[in-house]
Amino acid sequence: MKDGETKILTNECDCDQTAVDDITAVVNEVVELTGREPEKVILILQEVQKRLNYLPLEALKHICKVTEITPGQISGVSTFYSQFRHIPAGKHTVKICSGTACHVKGAPLISDAFKRVLKIDNTRSSSPDNLFSIEEVACLGCCTLAPVVQIDGKTYGHVKPTQAEEIIKNFLNVGNKSVSHHDTDNKEDIDAEIRIGLGSCCVAGGSKDILDEIVDIKERYDLNIRLKPVGCVGVCNQTPLLEIVTRENIHSRYTKVSKHQVEEILLKHIRPRAINKRIKHNIYDLVDTFLSDDMLTSPVNIPGELREKYLNNFLSYQVHLATSNSGVLSPDSYEEYCLSGGFEALNQCLNRFDQNTIVDIITESGLRGRGGAGFSTGEKWRISMLANGDSKYVVCNGDEGDPGAFMDRMLLESFPYRVIEGMIIAAYATGAKEGIFYIRAEYPLAVTRVRKAMKQCYEKSILGDRVSGTGFSFNIKIFEGAGAFVCGEETALISSLEGKRGTPHLRPPYPAVKGFRGQPTLVSNVETLSLIPWIITNGAEAFKSIGSGKSKGTKVFALAGKISKGGLIEVPMGITIREIVEKIGDGVAEGRKFKAVQIGGPSGGCIPASEADTPVDYEELTKMGAMMGSGGMVVLDDTDCMVDMAKYFLTFSHKQSCGKCTFCRIGTKQMLNIIIRLSEGKAALSDIVELENLCKSVKDGSLCGLGKTSPNPVLTGLRYFREEYEAHTRGFCPAKKCRNLIRYIVTDDCTGCTKCSQECPVNAIPFNPYEKHEIDNQLCTKCDNCRIVCPENAVEIINING
Amino acid sequence: MVKLKINNTDYEAPEGLTILDVARSAGFNIPTLCHKEGLPHYSSCMVCMVKDNRTNSFVPSCSALIQEGMDIDISGEEVISLRRKAIELLLSEHRAECEAPCKVVCPAGYNIPLMNRLIIAKDFDAALKLSLSEHGSSEILCAKCPGYCENACRRKKVDIPVSIRNMQLFISQRINQDKPVQDVADQHHNNDTVIETGPKKRKLSKLFTSHIGRLEETELLEWLKECSGKGIRFREISDFNSAAGESESCMHCDCRAADDCRLKDLAEEFSIKDPRGKLVNSPIVKKINHNTGLIFENAKCIKCGLCVRLCEDSKEEPALCFIRRGFVSIISEPLTEEFDNILKTKSKEVIEICPTGALSQLK
Repeated sequence: MKDGETKILTNECDCDQTAVDDITAVVNEVVELTGREPEKVILILQEVQKRLNYLPLEALKHICKVTEITPGQISGVSTFYSQFRHIPAGKHTVKICSGTACHVKGAPLISDAFKRVLKIDNTRSSSPDNLFSIEEVACLGCCTLAPVVQIDGKTYGHVKPTQAEEIIKNFLNVGNKSVSHHDTDNKEDIDAEIRIGLGSCCVAGGSKDILDEIVDIKERYDLNIRLKPVGCVGVCNQTPLLEIVTRENIHSRYTKVSKHQVEEILLKHIRPRAINKRIKHNIYDLVDTFLSDDMLTSPVNIPGELREKYLNNFLSYQVHLATSNSGVLSPDSYEEYCLSGGFEALNQCLNRFDQNTIVDIITESGLRGRGGAGFSTGEKWRISMLANGDSKYVVCNGDEGDPGAFMDRMLLESFPYRVIEGMIIAAYATGAKEGIFYIRAEYPLAVTRVRKAMKQCYEKSILGDRVSGTGFSFNIKIFEGAGAFVCGEETALISSLEGKRGTPHLRPPYPAVKGFRGQPTLVSNVETLSLIPWIITNGAEAFKSIGSGKSKGTKVFALAGKISKGGLIEVPMGITIREIVEKIGDGVAEGRKFKAVQIGGPSGGCIPASEADTPVDYEELTKMGAMMGSGGMVVLDDTDCMVDMAKYFLTFSHKQSCGKCTFCRIGTKQMLNIIIRLSEGKAALSDIVELENLCKSVKDGSLCGLGKTSPNPVLTGLRYFREEYEAHTRGFCPAKKCRNLIRYIVTDDCTGCTKCSQECPVNAIPFNPYEKHEIDNQLCTKCDNCRIVCPENAVEIINING
Repeated sequence: MVKLKINNTDYEAPEGLTILDVARSAGFNIPTLCHKEGLPHYSSCMVCMVKDNRTNSFVPSCSALIQEGMDIDISGEEVISLRRKAIELLLSEHRAECEAPCKVVCPAGYNIPLMNRLIIAKDFDAALKLSLSEHGSSEILCAKCPGYCENACRRKKVDIPVSIRNMQLFISQRINQDKPVQDVADQHHNNDTVIETGPKKRKLSKLFTSHIGRLEETELLEWLKECSGKGIRFREISDFNSAAGESESCMHCDCRAADDCRLKDLAEEFSIKDPRGKLVNSPIVKKINHNTGLIFENAKCIKCGLCVRLCEDSKEEPALCFIRRGFVSIISEPLTEEFDNILKTKSKEVIEICPTGALSQLK
């Protein structure tokens, strides 16, 4: 499918078209549920597509007929957001993540592989049997498992291009069973509690299988245990993670657990049912012992007190505020949240503080917006508090679109009550009566968890007409984003809430004064809100004492890319990049050389290894030409090409641009064209000069943050890696990444095993057993399969031009 | 009241006004393309950029609200440079074919497509007057010309070039009955005959001149859409019917807004040349509303959105809308409507408000 073409179904198409009567019936039903106002257009389209698989033209016509939505509105909206499709997709959608971490780990090659296996080329949008469609999605938020592929709900991590066929087979056989929640009964008298992380990443790492195995063993041996799914611990690279808490309150953790180890582990700690004592449950305890995973010896034989240096480091550098009680709380449990101090901050506010006091505390604490811009949260609250309006709103911005960032997803999945609490406090302080959770549609688990938590909150009167028994009333609705990165910008977000295309506008007027429906609207990032309860409970001074300079408190980062141990970390501001990469992340993976860290996604920039002592701080990072951004941190090694990275980010910005203003709409395309030519070795030094000028114009002239920051990857690339850019003008890619400038060759280490020949999808390597193999350059597509499968590491990449 | 500085002069104005409002009232000239008094501002073209020296940032003056203490620079070097860049970027995806190839190569500078349109409308007098006035002479010069126009005629790629010279000669002969007709065929051997080039009326100042592009195969089909008539071709023009018939094969390669294009005016004002290597954001299409005669050419559209803002879309009278997102976003009829059914009563207004020739009128 050509990029940018809105294909409309015509009568000549040969796929199954839904009958008109069925369409009308579905639309009528949906409109009945949702309403007829123009504002409801996105909700209606989402529901109709859910039921019909796509949006037939008849459906659009009928929607206009039975609602107040106009033809122009429905056309403009249904073609603006990526979620909507006008032609049917295959029965199953293969979503290939093209986020930063996945890109760096080879997503384009994965995409090619799946297209080959499913026989999808530019002429079709689904496989010949109509079973599968491929969709390249901006970021699935499972970055530490990069590269990631998701088919319907099932996530596959660490995917290799050579596994495409296997994965499709596996999916068709095993199918997509949803996570079954075992053991939600709250038995007191148990021998042990088994905690297992079941966030999206954990599941992709195989935690579901472990869960099933535990259930199996439990039944077989009649073990007196309780299974407890917990939220994200952040140690993503060590999943599946298992924690066993015995009735004597001894904690034991096991990492990278495989299915065959489960029986051994469980039986070591739990005796088949015999003893009948009470367990003292202390859920405030943080784990301090880990058992390392050793493939050669059974994990149960390693003494409990043995500490693996890295794991200790991984956690000891962290300060858990937004993520406090990580790995301990069951995300769905209201009771546990309360027992751990939840909603105490809210009650304090409702009973003891007035609006001004709350805003003072937040301002005093120095908290700044964690979505990227870093505006003083307290000040924003004050503006909203003082603004005039009959009905004020609080919006939680969960439209985390930065490829390579998944902090907000984790916070929503693991700590939904905390975010809700932050929202209610914000509403109380500013005088809002209604709240909206704006969550990306790509985060279905987050939506589910938040919905469940909200339901509980309503039942316990934490939400509703009389919050916690007071006269304050607050109601929240969930709105699923329809797929537009630009809607992370607050004015564009509000535009989409109003049923329009998500185009930003100039500020002032600021949404805090005049936003949704013209009313004062406080738009706040997920992480910002999740820090509020801690600040209220512990005070502004406590928060201020953490951090550095004008960047107070902690920040959650998603550490991914070429790092040994990636994951989600919450660290105090002011920590240096070197400390994060070397101490917490245990250095660059596979012994390669540390080159740079990409911070802030497409709006950010690359900080080179030479500047790794830069502290993570709003002002310091801006000085370096980068940006804190939302917290995505992708580590790059010497096999990553800075021109390729810039091309990747510019492609993203170009695809996500809303298209309203000249500089972003046309400027990003112009910049992209030059970068592409550079990556193909077809650019000259004068092109680099032109690129720089364009960058400056786009930075100055764009209407919103997306456009203004889109040149940053190029500008930082030129600032710190200019020689690399200039090398490309000579047709040379130092990192050996840019496909037009490299060649694959077989070295003398070849033993003639023919594995490469077998794996080559285009038959570029003749089958010659016992002979040194040769790669035919004319046919080679540089898919990397041969290099991956060669057992002798005899396939090398060389530069074409010296 | 808000106090602010514009170009180092103090001004005071009520809150809620934009920088553009205040500047224009004060007599400053800020160019705009996507702005229109009375319509909600959109800030798309970014040609109205100004600089706020307080924050060292650039803002579009059409939607920037005045704030206390602003120090606005309207005409400094940086501002002008950024405005130029905006216009250049707009031109880089704008198919600026202000003049048709036939007109450009014509030594006499005859506006051939316009002449053809007049003939289609059977207004032969006007057609002749037009040609005579272009060159300021009293007779048509085609007899002595080897016919560069026909060589450049795009219709050549479809079948045969439009018989321009014969049409011109026929009309001039019919209307000036006493002058003998010289058949064009005789003149092919007269290569050393030189036509006095350049009509005397042509302005001496540097005009914006557009590059003439080649039409691709698919584009040819689009341009043929305007050709009414049954495709019957006339090499010899012997009567008014054959003249009218032949004129219908003209593909109207010129831009009907060439004299009334605000983008062109700005390009001239800033001395910007038509850039090479145009970007194409979507397949080039000419849409024609056969009921109202409205023509839409997406290749000329600068996405200013004025046509969308002017006519509020409704079920009764569907209007134009934006579809898609980003670089590939375009103006179009709604997906659920046919182009023939939109803007039943507002065609004239949208054509007038369009700053380029993207929206124009058939005939």
